[in-house]
Amino acid sequence: MAHDEHDDQSLPRPSGRGSDTPDNNEVAPLPENGALYGVIAEYDTPGELVEAARKGRDAGYTEFDCFSPFPVHGIDEAMGIKRTILPLIIFAVGFSGTLGGILLQWWTNAYDWKWNISGKPTWSIPANVPIAFETTILLSVFAAFFGMWILNKLPQVWHPYFRLERFGRVTDDAFLLGIEAKDEQFDNEKTTKLLADAGAIAVENCYLDPDPANKQMPKWIMAFIVASTAFAFIPLAIAFKARNSTSEDPHIHIFPDMDFQPKYKADTAADQFADGRANRGEISGTIARGSLNADDELYHGIARSETDAQWTQGFPRQLEINEKLVRRGQNRFNIYCSPCHGYDGRGLGAVPQRVTASGGSWLPANLVAPPDEKGVGGRPIKMPNGQLFNTISNGFSTMMGYANQITVADRWAIVLYVRALQRAYNATDKDVPPEMMRNMPAPSAPAAPAAGSGAAPAAGSAAPAPGSGSAAPASGSAPAPGSGAAPAPAAPTEPSK
Amino acid sequence: MSALTKTLHPDEKVKAGKLGGSMFKAGMGIAVVFMAISIVFGAMAGDNFKRFLHAYVIGWAYIFSICVGAMFLVILHHLARGRWATAVRRVAEAMTMALPMVFVAGLGFIIPILAGYTDLYYWAHPDAHNHELNHHLAHKLGWLSPALFAVRYVIYGVVLTAIARYFYKTSKQQDESGDPKLSENMRVVSGPAIIVYALVVCMAAFDILMSFAPKWYSTIYGVNFWGSACVGGFAALGLLVLGIQRSGRLVHSVTADHYHDIGKWMFAFTFFWAYTAFSQFMLQWYGNMPEETHWYKYRLFGEWQWVSIAMLVGFWAFPFVFLISRWTKRIVPALVFFSVWQLVFHWLDLYWNVMPSYDWTIVQHGEQVINAGPLMGNTAYHHVGFSPVDVTVWIALVGLLVAGIGRNLKGNLIPVKDPTLGLSLAHENL
Repeated sequence: MAHDEHDDQSLPRPSGRGSDTPDNNEVAPLPENGALYGVIAEYDTPGELVEAARKGRDAGYTEFDCFSPFPVHGIDEAMGIKRTILPLIIFAVGFSGTLGGILLQWWTNAYDWKWNISGKPTWSIPANVPIAFETTILLSVFAAFFGMWILNKLPQVWHPYFRLERFGRVTDDAFLLGIEAKDEQFDNEKTTKLLADAGAIAVENCYLDPDPANKQMPKWIMAFIVASTAFAFIPLAIAFKARNSTSEDPHIHIFPDMDFQPKYKADTAADQFADGRANRGEISGTIARGSLNADDELYHGIARSETDAQWTQGFPRQLEINEKLVRRGQNRFNIYCSPCHGYDGRGLGAVPQRVTASGGSWLPANLVAPPDEKGVGGRPIKMPNGQLFNTISNGFSTMMGYANQITVADRWAIVLYVRALQRAYNATDKDVPPEMMRNMPAPSAPAAPAAGSGAAPAAGSAAPAPGSGSAAPASGSAPAPGSGAAPAPAAPTEPSK
Repeated sequence: MSALTKTLHPDEKVKAGKLGGSMFKAGMGIAVVFMAISIVFGAMAGDNFKRFLHAYVIGWAYIFSICVGAMFLVILHHLARGRWATAVRRVAEAMTMALPMVFVAGLGFIIPILAGYTDLYYWAHPDAHNHELNHHLAHKLGWLSPALFAVRYVIYGVVLTAIARYFYKTSKQQDESGDPKLSENMRVVSGPAIIVYALVVCMAAFDILMSFAPKWYSTIYGVNFWGSACVGGFAALGLLVLGIQRSGRLVHSVTADHYHDIGKWMFAFTFFWAYTAFSQFMLQWYGNMPEETHWYKYRLFGEWQWVSIAMLVGFWAFPFVFLISRWTKRIVPALVFFSVWQLVFHWLDLYWNVMPSYDWTIVQHGEQVINAGPLMGNTAYHHVGFSPVDVTVWIALVGLLVAGIGRNLKGNLIPVKDPTLGLSLAHENL
């Protein structure tokens, strides 16, 4: 039996039967080696390894393999191994990732729990593409990584070649070629000669361990795999139990110092204070910065005298009433108010339109319509400025207050702009500057303002053009027969006081 | 000994000889004949050459993009200390050296704009300054003015030509001296060069292609154009190298492994194009803002609908599933088929980007298109259709590109003294 001095070292010996006593001559020693497993040859360069592999292939060997620290170009062809089927596996698994990603989104968002996101269809392919792309990549990578392991029979924790010290260098700087004894062509002498002739710097035999116990995977590795697999089921089991049972125990707190912080939350109890409350309130005689708001007119829209308090009719003296403020009011109105009240204030914003489109019925207040002949309606026109301001600040009916979103000055600017809208909607000839009026055709005597009077000309429908001055002459210049004696409609209410 | 490095095969024909000259003559012949036909078509159309010039810009962008794609390989090869491409790098350099000629050809639409031609770009038309119609175009008209546009065009031309010349000349110089220091120099230059290159290509795409729809917004547009350009560049490189091999040159140096890598790049950019095109689409589709979606609305409905579907299937899905395979890239007839296929669809991509804007009703309406009711039945939109001049101008300009490349195919077709040549000749894919 050939004996290689390397074989003596770092070999796991059969426990209790090895040479752990100096007088091992007295115990019949086990043979160092079992049956011949194969022959291994070392080459100096990857190029020589490729050439040796080619010679091995040409000599008809099939049970052989090459070992190198890095992938060697051309070795597959030299060894005569057919191309891997890994790409096909990756393609198939990756494609099932695409389908799975789309199926997942269809199931979750279009079938099991329909959910409207940004008004898109519940199942829309463009929105699904990024997710499907990611699942494709994920599953392709898994298929590539684990498929490579499986096809390469990895992880291989034990192999007869590991007995050779030389083999340990295969991850460092050794280029090895091993031919196994089970190959039909194998003949120890001839095979060794072939490998040596191919330029090997060393050829050595590899023997199996004589102890059958060492021909298989060590027991502790098997135990570790079984144990870790079992452990992996523990979280699943806990989750399963939690879903299928009831418990009165409190939650498990993994980070108690985060869950129970030494602080009080608003409106909770605190024993150490006399009143037992965590809230400490304001200290009497003080006021927080920016909370004074002592000017009732500016901050609350209330005109207060010594005996009386009413909504203010004018604007606070701090504001300069000019076109700039109107423009500012328009800007804020279009942002905060128009979604419901509409850009023209008639209450036909995008929100009520959408409610109508989806079969509902809801209209916000019409801010510009005047009261009818009996004085009914037209509340926003009749409201004093201060009350309008208060409505913007604190809301009314279903409308929320906007004090947190809009500053005080901007709320007054909106009041001013609403007045401008009301004035424009209810405009009469008197509102048009005389020099511009001259350029217009003569209006009919009772200039029909766009009031909703029943006997008004058909032009005065519910949707008059804001510039009603131009519509009125048109109907006046071509009076329909029989409408010549249109009754004078009620004079529009003066919108602004 | 291993196959890690090789020397040039002793029988290899590395000299261009008469090849470049005959390419120049053939290309010029095609260019002259087809340009004459196109001008006749253009004059017959009686639309003040509007259609002709639209097709001219598309054709120009096509040949420009192919040079740009080849330039990416040249710069990246130095930047990443590439090995495999050394054997085909000289051919790519010759492609980039067609850029001066391409930029001269571009004067065909720059000069009319400077001379006051207003029917090509909407922003050059007096209507664009109509505040009533186009108030949200006003802030862009400073940038999109004929004079500034022409100045930028010249800058793009000078910068890209300088980059192309530097790498071509230095590489040629190394053919003589074999000085490895020159490789080092090119590597140092390649870093800044790729930044400048990226900016110039993106800006050129914004200016020359995207400004056909001046009311539209997209910041990824330049990147998307570049992706498409690189598909065209690598497809053209593969075909050109193959043609050179058919003429008996470089037969031993360029192997299936080089074609494999060219094919990989073509595959990668096919996907990259789809990725950026979809990114551009999806964000605008999701955001659903009229000033963005109008561009897609008139491409996804009406007469452009089928072109859009053809782009999705033809420029991405079909080549993707075949080019993903190793064999498609290594078997020459398959690679040739897909190179030609992608070169055609690259042109269709540019056509699809530009030609819908031929109808100015759409350009002018901008986001109002969204509110204009069902587009298909709307008579406000003209029929853009197809015109033979679209193709004849394209062929003429491709002829010019062939001539421009041929003019630079002289001397060695391979960087014979490049230190990495041996590694490239022995290149093998795993």
